[in-house]
Amino acid sequence: MEHIVLTGVGMMSAAGTGAGPVLDAMASGTHFFNVEHPGKRSLHPRFPWPEASLKEPNVPWPEGGAWPDIKKYANDSAHQAVAVGRMAIAQSGMADEASAIRCGAVMASGNRSDELAPLMGRLGLLAQTDPRPLAKLLFDEVPDYSYLRGIPCQIGQFVCLATGFRGSNVAHYGEAGASGLGALSFAKRMLEHEELDRVIVVGVGIPLPPQMLVALDRHNPLGTEAIPGRGPFDVGRAGTLLGHAAVALIIERESVARARGAATLGTLLSCESINATSSPAALAVATQRALEFAGRTPQFWWAHGAGSVSADLAECQTVAPLVRGPTTGTKGTIGNTGEAAGLVDVVLAAEALRRGQIPPVGLLQKPDPALGDIDFVVGKPRAVPPGRGTALVTALDSRAECAGAAVIGM
Amino acid sequence: MKKIVITGMGVVTAIGDSVESFWESNLKGKSGLRLEDRMDLSALPCGWVAGVVPEEIKSVIKARWGNSNHAWGDILMHAALDQALTDAKFAGGLKRPAGLAWARVWPGPSGSFPQDYVDHMRESGERHKAVGDQPGDIVSYLRQKPKPESLESSDLSAFPTELSEKLGVPLIASKLDATCSGGLRSLVEATRLLRMGVVDFAVVSAVVSRSNHYTLSQYAQLMALSRWKNPPQQASMPFDKRRTGMVINESSGALVLETEEHARARGVRESYAEVGGWGLAVDTVHLTAPRVEMVERVIRTALEQSKLTPDDIDTVNAHGTSTRLNDVTESKALHRVFGERMKTLDVCAVKSLTGHGSAASGILETVISALTLCRGVIPPVVTCTQPDPECNVKTSLTPVRRPVNAVLKNSFGFGGQYASIVFKRPEMARA
Repeated sequence: MEHIVLTGVGMMSAAGTGAGPVLDAMASGTHFFNVEHPGKRSLHPRFPWPEASLKEPNVPWPEGGAWPDIKKYANDSAHQAVAVGRMAIAQSGMADEASAIRCGAVMASGNRSDELAPLMGRLGLLAQTDPRPLAKLLFDEVPDYSYLRGIPCQIGQFVCLATGFRGSNVAHYGEAGASGLGALSFAKRMLEHEELDRVIVVGVGIPLPPQMLVALDRHNPLGTEAIPGRGPFDVGRAGTLLGHAAVALIIERESVARARGAATLGTLLSCESINATSSPAALAVATQRALEFAGRTPQFWWAHGAGSVSADLAECQTVAPLVRGPTTGTKGTIGNTGEAAGLVDVVLAAEALRRGQIPPVGLLQKPDPALGDIDFVVGKPRAVPPGRGTALVTALDSRAECAGAAVIGM
Repeated sequence: MKKIVITGMGVVTAIGDSVESFWESNLKGKSGLRLEDRMDLSALPCGWVAGVVPEEIKSVIKARWGNSNHAWGDILMHAALDQALTDAKFAGGLKRPAGLAWARVWPGPSGSFPQDYVDHMRESGERHKAVGDQPGDIVSYLRQKPKPESLESSDLSAFPTELSEKLGVPLIASKLDATCSGGLRSLVEATRLLRMGVVDFAVVSAVVSRSNHYTLSQYAQLMALSRWKNPPQQASMPFDKRRTGMVINESSGALVLETEEHARARGVRESYAEVGGWGLAVDTVHLTAPRVEMVERVIRTALEQSKLTPDDIDTVNAHGTSTRLNDVTESKALHRVFGERMKTLDVCAVKSLTGHGSAASGILETVISALTLCRGVIPPVVTCTQPDPECNVKTSLTPVRRPVNAVLKNSFGFGGQYASIVFKRPEMARA
């Protein structure tokens, strides 16, 4: 089967714009939890959980054409998705009229938030005394278009407008999402089935409302300290540290990229997303399939590394027997970015391969011996031959018995 | 190319909790629409009617599939799924991962029922009274509450896990959102997995249950809902000149798809339909309004991919939402594709009886399309008693009996969503 190549990337994270600042921060041991960036909206100092927020959260909406008129339909996720989509398309090249219907979008952003969450308290209080029937009260008081703003594929429509892609638009998320790798594997299938020539996959991990954070913490305690020794795989790890990011990848069949003269940033050798009766079972199948279909032995492993006691143990016990080599992860530097996380890791792994440098795991000081004999990258980067090699990227969702694995190469 | 066939079907709707009862209701023109009297909607400018699963059916379903791990949407999905698996004579023995493509229309953070939203508002008000609206204070307040998170508050479901357990194999699963074309998009993804040889056996599922104060108020803001004030059974009237908007419903549908080879290997020779080609597209000109050019494009693509001409299509199972704009747009596109044949081409619109079930509609209407192929009967559109000359499509007030070898099925949605698909009569059709 023909190779699927990566031709455009856009990324925003706590480290800034693009993959480079994240890798540089990892290499230097910098993290971004509860860092106040200039011009940034205030953090929630009374949250018990540190967060790595976007360095530049006030994302401008495009100007000109239809953009000002449709801004009313756009929430924060849409702003971020459009911004990273535009970065990716600037690198990969816009679709022209002839090719537009052979290009599509896949959103990896779900109903993780609720458009009304910030208003619900006030509305609930109002409803206790207001004489209007509840439906009428909501009709009058809820800001226009709130319902539309929360629809995942509605955001994909904005991405299509930004990229000129007109062939397909769908959101792939939630229980089958595996931190964005579900969306990536879905997009890859549409290319391999030759329905489309190019697909942009966009993941957005936004700040979650308090209700969701409390629910997540109840399921598996979130990390409360962002200090050395509390990072992923550390013997002292104590929960996932939260982060926000938006990321876009444009993938296409190699022949299509070559025909239009597009530069290749990496090759997506395989990408699998699996649901099973447990997340370790799903991860085992996903990883085995990804390695088998890639047909190459990865030089290093870019792990999900959630930082929770149980998830890291499950991931290491499942994947370590299948792959050797240096192991790293992102979440000790920019946090767990939800639907964007797996896609962020694919982009970072590709860039690390290009640079020939595997960065260390943020906030990891002493690897947990219970995780097994794994060659974690600790403290300083590890050099590998630049511009070649392959990397395994894994992702799992312990709440949804879902996992993903991808092999990216140069 | 591998032949992909539908070997099992299941539904839960306002007009039938089995495929047979649903089909019979369609042939008889039995409406599932009623005044939504579980909440006071009188002050809304539209949307007073809904297609809701009757309480007696709800009770039976809840008793069988309800548990502490299932939100109402999950219960509806399992009810339709088990029908489909039984219908497909599934008896285990899968040797490879199976496919799952599904669309679960999220009812919002409260739950599916009106009372859920009342409770949600009350709790939110109490919280606001206690701690105000600062997120840090809300977190502290919520952490002290013993009540666990509502099952539907996070839009997560154990459905894939439970299906994996039921089938005995891992799943290659896709939970999709493509608004009201999500059902057809899910069916397409399952077919894609099968055609590519990634799986041999796949389940498609879609559900909607969101008739609550919030959903209705928001659709009313958009003025998308029916303003019909006469008998509620007439409120959804696709292609009728008096139509005033859509009616939302509660429904669930499930399909079993497999390669013909796989079905035969396990002793299943008859099927409901063969999946042909499809057309998909996204429009960026408008967020909610459909365009004729886009509808025409996906229909033509579906025909081309099916290696059929317009003359090969025997009937159209329309999107037919009963909104002013959708029905005239869809009709104009059909006229562009089928030309003079529109005078004799029978058009069916299931939403006339069920209302609009968003993504679930695509699955329910696929069920009707499949039975139309097998049984050679096109259901009537009994609410279209004053056909709109601007639409000018041929609907019937009684079932039309004729051989049907190919059905065109359309689904469109907000977000510039367009999907069309062709179903063909299988070599060995289910009786």
